[in-house]
Amino acid sequence: MADNLPSEFDVVVIGTGLPESIIAAACSRSGQRVLHVDSRNYYGGNWASFSFSGLSSWIKENQQKTDISEESEDWRKLILETEEAICLNKKDKTIQNVEDVCYASQDLAEDVKEAGALPNLPDFEASETSEAAQESEKECLPVESQSLGTASCEISSERIIGNDPGSTTERKDAEMTSERENLCDVTSDQSPLETGKTETISTTEAAALEPKKITYTQIVKEGRRFNIDLVSKLLYSRGLLIDLLMKSNVSRYAEFKNVTRILTFQEERVEQVPCSRADVFNSKQLTMVEKRMLMKFLTFCLDYEQHPDAYQDYKEYKFSEYLKTQKLTAKLQHFILHSIAMVSAADSNTIEGLKATKNFLQCLGRYGNTPFLFPLYGQGEIPQCFCRMCAVFGGIYCLRHSVQCLVVDKESGRCKAIIDHFGQRINANYFVVEDSYLSEETCTDVCYRQISRAVLITDQSVLKTDSDQQISILIVPPMELGQPAVRIIELCSSTMTCMKNTYLVHFTSSSTKTAKEDLEPVVQKLFTLNAETERESKNGGLEKPRVLWAVYFNMRDSSGIDRNSYDHLPSNVYVCSGPDSALGNDYAVKQAETLFQEMFPNEEFCPSPPNPEDIIYDGDGTPPEDPRFSNSSNMKTEPLSEESSDENSYKISEEHHKE
Amino acid sequence: MMAIRELKVCLLGDTGVGKSSIVCRFVQDHFDHNISPTIGASFMTKTVPCGNELHKFLIWDTAGQERFHSLAPMYYRGSAAAVIVYDITKQDSFHTLKKWVKELKEHGPENIVMAIAGNKCDLSDLREVTMKDAKEYAESIGAIVVETSAKNAINIEELFQGISQQIPPLNPHENSNNGAIRLGKQTTQMSRPCC
Repeated sequence: MADNLPSEFDVVVIGTGLPESIIAAACSRSGQRVLHVDSRNYYGGNWASFSFSGLSSWIKENQQKTDISEESEDWRKLILETEEAICLNKKDKTIQNVEDVCYASQDLAEDVKEAGALPNLPDFEASETSEAAQESEKECLPVESQSLGTASCEISSERIIGNDPGSTTERKDAEMTSERENLCDVTSDQSPLETGKTETISTTEAAALEPKKITYTQIVKEGRRFNIDLVSKLLYSRGLLIDLLMKSNVSRYAEFKNVTRILTFQEERVEQVPCSRADVFNSKQLTMVEKRMLMKFLTFCLDYEQHPDAYQDYKEYKFSEYLKTQKLTAKLQHFILHSIAMVSAADSNTIEGLKATKNFLQCLGRYGNTPFLFPLYGQGEIPQCFCRMCAVFGGIYCLRHSVQCLVVDKESGRCKAIIDHFGQRINANYFVVEDSYLSEETCTDVCYRQISRAVLITDQSVLKTDSDQQISILIVPPMELGQPAVRIIELCSSTMTCMKNTYLVHFTSSSTKTAKEDLEPVVQKLFTLNAETERESKNGGLEKPRVLWAVYFNMRDSSGIDRNSYDHLPSNVYVCSGPDSALGNDYAVKQAETLFQEMFPNEEFCPSPPNPEDIIYDGDGTPPEDPRFSNSSNMKTEPLSEESSDENSYKISEEHHKE
Repeated sequence: MMAIRELKVCLLGDTGVGKSSIVCRFVQDHFDHNISPTIGASFMTKTVPCGNELHKFLIWDTAGQERFHSLAPMYYRGSAAAVIVYDITKQDSFHTLKKWVKELKEHGPENIVMAIAGNKCDLSDLREVTMKDAKEYAESIGAIVVETSAKNAINIEELFQGISQQIPPLNPHENSNNGAIRLGKQTTQMSRPCC
């Protein structure tokens, strides 16, 4: 390490997930000296996103059962008589039951690697390529990389080709080669350019043409086009995260896409939910009577508080029961419950449902036809944006930097310092630690929930339209009572999260069993797992998209844990949780703000930045007139051009008179 | 009115080679001997004419995140060009240049324009890296290269002019921002050709 890390800070933040990153930015912004570390070699912790090769390495790492062998305890010498140590976790244990399955044909993928991927993780098994050998001479590369870059992308033994148990095979099994060659019409040698050409032809020409099959090799080669999020969330266009991004000006580091469709799954069919005024009127699925019913109900929801008599008697009812009492058909009830309010049929009461519906409606039309935004390159960008903000105000960043322990002064009971993996003692006044870094000892009394996740790479959208660039959210209600609903977000390639002609489909639910047990039944309802077979119903038009590749895993949900359930934590150690299972990001933002206010009650939380960073010197040297860089705290950030027109939203007029 | 194209440029190179000084000279025509490691400067902009377009450079600084090798992938997103800086008086900084280039190839956009700047050319008495070596290397990776001095304002304008010329002309059929939304921006006149 060329540079020495200072030993004195005001705040040490351990973990680079969203709440930690927001706190780091807020602290740095308010003048604190911040050290922000993560033991991993990528940003975001469980909020991270990965290229395909990066995710493959992440999968491998989480499938390894072995614990890290005990390291030397030399650092204990640094602890004084009057102090005690609280050890931190060596290995992340928040991810379980990781299982990846490849369904795409695997044409001799021996030496395929992601274009540009580097064998750059020094402590990862040495790769055998000569290139890697040369590199290792020069010691560790500047590994900002997210991709752990294994030179060859091996396929784990869990992977199964196809759905047919008879075809279960290992990767080096060459017997199937000839068969595979017959099956796949795209050879691995085809250049991306050529592929591009054929695509344009196939889209413009006969739609009856079978779309190109994507092979595993192509996925690996184009691996850097993927940005696969570990958590699947969206930003409510009037949610706390959007507000914070705009207020703090961190929004300048990211770009977004509006989610284009809300889908629903009813009677074994995927349909689009009309949610804006224009949608409702243009809908072909609804009768005239239904349109009026829906409009009337939604209009009521927008200011339901003004009409207490309309719901007073149903306060204690479930929202689903309440909907039955309204003049709504079964189809409309389904739309409202699952796709607009997105609340649980079993648990949510009338008020919760009305509130959720209102929130949805209020978020409509700010940027487009649905209430949601998705960050280009994935949700994993957002923590990085806040980290940049922190760095811009002087915060120091160290990835691959683990912390051995917190040092606690016995007398005062306060945490004084950390000792890092180099044995350096770093003093600070405040410590922010992400839950997964706390040891089992600290967390014996903590009871965690789990989130079930699946990520699929597929070849078509679950609901095909004229445009192949749709971003969709679909809630699949529980198939049996007591099971959780499954939230599906389908991303197209223009979100910069997957390669052309593929879709990235994220499944999320709270766990009842392993992720695969929870989610595979829903996957099978919507997709074909057997990529090898020809599509059967070519004329029917009801063919399901194929799954090319999938991964399942369970992630620990450490949200909502009472601080007192952590054992023996000093009062100046603040715990952040990992991602929760909700769709929005409000929990993380609230937590960050609350913890920041506890640490610094008199400081403003992420105020908009002052000069000098906003000084723009144009060619002639005159100061800027550009209002968006003005220093006023009363930010006028509403982007007019993105406001959609009247008929697309229920509510636009209130735009400019807030507070 | 000429069309304005916003071009994100990211800076790379070891700590202390003069990345911020180069931008400071280019944008503000100013040089500060005791420039503190990049605080509070997120990105700076400067607009220069190029043919019948105006190129508005949005120059992103590393904000010091390169110091402990912790640059975030978002730093490279959507960059039209990268300026990779070494110090001609430090052979080491030329060595690590190659690592930065690899890093860029891995995380940067595919068609990124690469410009290598051998900074501190005013200190040629202390030179450790020859121009020949730099040129050969730049050629091998298809980058442009100049020796610069942020201190004496040598070749700074030329560096960015060089980048401007390498930027491929705008394809009018291609919507370059792809319908992406920027929060808090008044207007999005991203690279829209005038006609």
